[in-house]
Amino acid sequence: MPLVEMKGVSKRFGKVVASSGIDLRIEDGEYVTILGPSGCGKTTLIRMIAGILEPSEGKVLIGGRDMDGVPIEERDIGYVFQNIALFPHLNMLENVSYGPIVKDVSEEERVSVPRRYLELVNLLDRMSMFPSALSGGEQQKVALARALASGARLLLLDEPLSALDARVRMDLRYELRRITKDLGLTVLHVTHDQEEAMTVSDRIVLMRNGRIMESGSPEQMYRAPKELFTANFIGETNLLDGVVVVSGDDRTLVEVRDGSVVEAQPSGFEPGDAVVLSVRPERVHALNEGLKAVVRSMSFMGTYIRVTAEADSEDILEFDIPVPRGGDFNVGDNIHLGWSMGSALVYQRPPGGIAEAVKLE
Amino acid sequence: MNDQEYLCLLGPTGAGKTTALRVIAGLTAPDEGTVHFDQRDVTSVEPEHRNAVLLSQTYSLFPTMTVAENIMFGPDIRNVSDRDKEQMLVSLLDLVRLTGRAGSYPRELSGGMQQRCALVRAIATSPDVLLLDEPLRALDARLRIDLRRELKSLAKTLGLTVVHVTHDQDEALVMADRIAIIRDGRIVQVGTPSQVFNEPASPFVANFVGQSNFFTGTVVSSGPDGSEVEDDTGHRMKSRPTDVPVGEKAVLAVKVGHTRLLKLEAAKLQGRIERMLFEGRVVHVDVDVDGVGRFSAKIPASHGGRYQVGNEIGVGWNRNKAKLFPYPEGGLENELRVD
Repeated sequence: MPLVEMKGVSKRFGKVVASSGIDLRIEDGEYVTILGPSGCGKTTLIRMIAGILEPSEGKVLIGGRDMDGVPIEERDIGYVFQNIALFPHLNMLENVSYGPIVKDVSEEERVSVPRRYLELVNLLDRMSMFPSALSGGEQQKVALARALASGARLLLLDEPLSALDARVRMDLRYELRRITKDLGLTVLHVTHDQEEAMTVSDRIVLMRNGRIMESGSPEQMYRAPKELFTANFIGETNLLDGVVVVSGDDRTLVEVRDGSVVEAQPSGFEPGDAVVLSVRPERVHALNEGLKAVVRSMSFMGTYIRVTAEADSEDILEFDIPVPRGGDFNVGDNIHLGWSMGSALVYQRPPGGIAEAVKLE
Repeated sequence: MNDQEYLCLLGPTGAGKTTALRVIAGLTAPDEGTVHFDQRDVTSVEPEHRNAVLLSQTYSLFPTMTVAENIMFGPDIRNVSDRDKEQMLVSLLDLVRLTGRAGSYPRELSGGMQQRCALVRAIATSPDVLLLDEPLRALDARLRIDLRRELKSLAKTLGLTVVHVTHDQDEALVMADRIAIIRDGRIVQVGTPSQVFNEPASPFVANFVGQSNFFTGTVVSSGPDGSEVEDDTGHRMKSRPTDVPVGEKAVLAVKVGHTRLLKLEAAKLQGRIERMLFEGRVVHVDVDVDGVGRFSAKIPASHGGRYQVGNEIGVGWNRNKAKLFPYPEGGLENELRVD
């Protein structure tokens, strides 16, 4: 039922266009993240769904009903903010009880419902503690329990993990997904963190400059991004300037700046077209032949080593090697780099240059 | 700390990282102990005479000054000749790619630009020690990844000695020459990134720097080739050699990234795949092992198609990747708490 639709939604603040021509459909039970850099308009979007902001143009529908003029308290939405917003003078149980009490449920449910949700976030043993006695991660879990206890089927999460430590964030990502999936909720989760988006989502909606750039499953967005910006924003990638030499059904051959020719996926470009190649670091390998490059730095990443090399084509190429092979490479070594045909994606070279097209701020 | 070293002070919120930084800077006086710069005791030296610059989490640029004015504000610079100042400014702006922004005000800059501006303002005073308190925290996740490298190479190019406080273990692994892990006001381990990752001093470190799986039991054998632990359901798992004596309760830690999915028949730990999450270069797999608990593994994304949620599967590891610790006094859960 809580299917959310945005049809031709725009939002302007004076001359500033925060959202522009947003068409978005979220299915019942779907976990969708709205991902994008600071200032891309993702918070504005979620606020229009919540009813905190009214669209300048277009419609927001929830469960098929037009939300024009419907106030936030009648939209049946659970909302979790970035800054943990618990009542400091209430204990955990009372904080979580707030929703059910406002909803005027039976005496019995006033106790049983909050307890159930505190248990769900593994904090039942802390129910008589006050917010100040809990860690940030615990407080945010209570805020989640409170949003869930209102019984809403649609949950809006606005950067729910951003204020927490990296390691706590990592654990809570899995928790968030587990809990909301167990309850069969529809979730809209706003974040600037591409790793977080990848881990929790059924679908990622990537925004930039107030518009939706691209949307798809985490796997689609990582493996076959349609836009150059997406390729760089979701996961890291190597970008190389080139010109198409041969364009076939089975592959594209591209000449890079030092005159070497490399293989890429079939692309539909014509010989002579100016293109950009995108190859993920884990797909680049040191080989007996290939692009000539010099090792510039090596960085220990735990389970692998990230090597940064400068190619003769002046492109910087990063690639990963297993830790036990770390001794095979030294800064200053001359190496050859290559990849399998399917690992390189081809994009039209943006008129304003690569840097502008993938700019993060 | 050595001259020109890049040290990351890594730990959870409230561990005492910022306090340590403030003690070095002279902004907080230690109750006990001394602080030395180049073997000189500076414990009672005022902050402004220590030549250590602390860059706080909020960049605190002067809002009414331009980028150029902010950078040239440093006390040491005001005595420099105008011509030298001009040259210095040009090279500093170039260093952090703010050349086109010299005349902008802080509010006109993005978060990343403000961060870089604050950084060169600190560098412009040529400090002996640069103290960075969560310098990347306020930035977007993707931008942070790019700036990690820039910041490190900047420090190396200029030969700076840096103490960098962070709660982000990935940031510390990528940036640090050495990492000092701090918890509850104590340093629990100091080492190179690969030392703290591969030779953790405690279960906490094993789990904080790269996630680990844990297997609790009693040490049943111990020799130069390694040790074995047995849990109360009779599973016997191998580790590297340990000092924990036979008969003692112990906990085995193995990194999630070193945990392997095995054929059912070949494994001592057998379970069912609970969850698979695509994470880009890897797929995160959680396996629920009956009566033992959950074990996570990261498999290359290209192998993701071989498995499905619900599959019966084995879990194991190379014994050299597993480290054994005495069972922590306050219990394992308490030992592993990250906040």
